[in-house]
Amino acid sequence: MTTQPEFPNEMPIVPEAAPRVERSRARPVASWREHHGWSAAASLRRLMSRPVGTLLTVAVMALALALPLTFYLLLGNVQKLGDVLGQNQTVSVFLQPSQSGPAVELLATKLRERADVATVTVKTPQQGMDELAKMQGFSGALHTLDNNPLPYAIEVLPKQGLDADAVARLVDELRETQGVDLVQDSGTWRQRLDALLGVGNRAVLVLAVLLALAVLLVVGNTVRVDIASRSEEISVLMLVGASRAFVRRPYLYAGIWYGLFSGVLAAGVAVLVEMALAEPVTRLSHVYDGKLQVGALPLWVLGAVPPVAALLGWLGARLVSAWQLRKAA
Amino acid sequence: MIRFDQVSKRYEGGHEALSQLSFHVAPGEMAFVTGHSGAGKSTLLKLLGLIERPSHGVITLDGQNLSKIGRGGIPKLRRRIGMVFQDHRLLMDRTVFANVELPLVIGGIAPVERGRRVRAALEKVGLLSYERQLPVTLSTGEQQRVGIARAIVAKPTLLIADEPTGNLDPQLAVEIMGLFAEFQQVGTTVLIASHDLPLIKRIKKRVVVLDHGRLVADVAAQEVL
Repeated sequence: MTTQPEFPNEMPIVPEAAPRVERSRARPVASWREHHGWSAAASLRRLMSRPVGTLLTVAVMALALALPLTFYLLLGNVQKLGDVLGQNQTVSVFLQPSQSGPAVELLATKLRERADVATVTVKTPQQGMDELAKMQGFSGALHTLDNNPLPYAIEVLPKQGLDADAVARLVDELRETQGVDLVQDSGTWRQRLDALLGVGNRAVLVLAVLLALAVLLVVGNTVRVDIASRSEEISVLMLVGASRAFVRRPYLYAGIWYGLFSGVLAAGVAVLVEMALAEPVTRLSHVYDGKLQVGALPLWVLGAVPPVAALLGWLGARLVSAWQLRKAA
Repeated sequence: MIRFDQVSKRYEGGHEALSQLSFHVAPGEMAFVTGHSGAGKSTLLKLLGLIERPSHGVITLDGQNLSKIGRGGIPKLRRRIGMVFQDHRLLMDRTVFANVELPLVIGGIAPVERGRRVRAALEKVGLLSYERQLPVTLSTGEQQRVGIARAIVAKPTLLIADEPTGNLDPQLAVEIMGLFAEFQQVGTTVLIASHDLPLIKRIKKRVVVLDHGRLVADVAAQEVL
């Protein structure tokens, strides 16, 4: 092959073998990597060159991402509170007055053997009377009684982690047990709480999907405006032989940067919400013997927010740039 | 090199810019396409760069039927063609060097080689000392030379120019045409659309004359008066 000289006065008569094409074939990966690096840096520079606009876009996206995170955090804490309250939730079983001490102990032993029962405590009529005596206003009244009218009672604490249906089954079985007069179950509220948490979880999921769509639209619109303002540059690039992928690359990186920054900011907002919750939860925790701890978002969730947001940013930019560039020269 | 065979171009709305145009440009030849405004000069160049597609007829470039090039093949074709525009089409927020470098970046040339070629191209058009400047700081003639440097830096086999001297004073116009003639002398095929007849006569190259999209004259270089 003829050596390709530099310019006209050195050019061969038939300069068919354009060395540029040969070289691009020889180093496609290097060239591709080089342009990715350039696109990432150039798009970042463009974002930084208009800090206010970038900050506003990132803030809107971050809030959209932080909302479902915050709701998820709040729901998790309500769930935890429910669990802690559930620990104190005992089912009180009042036995018929005819039941003797040995019969009550036999029933208690049977209950202790159940897989769905955590603890069983027998309260004699005298213990019941003593408890009543400690309560304000009752001590005087109790002296007027000739004998103890209270029956034996058994306090049954269901196993932790039992769902509302399982607790309800346990209560039903206790009611059916021979010698049982009355069963007091304060677990209805827990059923309602679980139902509400179920609705809340679904609402968070729907909200997350809708707000992810909002993030896509925000990035898409930002990139659309960016492309529209650079239509002249895009036209020139395409006229000198740039492919659509080449032209699109900086805009895709812009989408990634928007997503990444907003993801980091959203994770930061979620951490701030956690910190804001910590103090009132600590106060509440004292009421429940320190059993309640603020439920933080798992680290993997916080860590996943920026890359997922970057992916959303890329997707938004990809969709809009493909549509916009189709109209270009 | 270039062959137009019964090529017509009708735009949406019915305006026929080219009508059954047939001509051939040999490899390494330089030719002017001239005619009054609306004669079809720019359309002809747009068809060569696949900015527009013909309504009828066949255009071949180096034996390749341009109609058979799909959307994905257009960038590859354009990398073989150097294009010069009347309005320069420079990126005003990038330096002269970065503007000229564009086709090489797109072509995937290594940075060191890019630098060498860009400086050689700028030296050729007499603008080496301007490489760090933004185009807005240059005169119209200098901007046009930057456009020419960008068109030749990737060593295209075909150079097309649409009214490249339209905004230049006569002296500068002659200089620019001289540059095109130099490229042709070393084997690059050059096709220039221009309505500047006095200038065309001075350069003494083949002239294809269009009128209302039809070929009305094809004057060989030696016949140009």
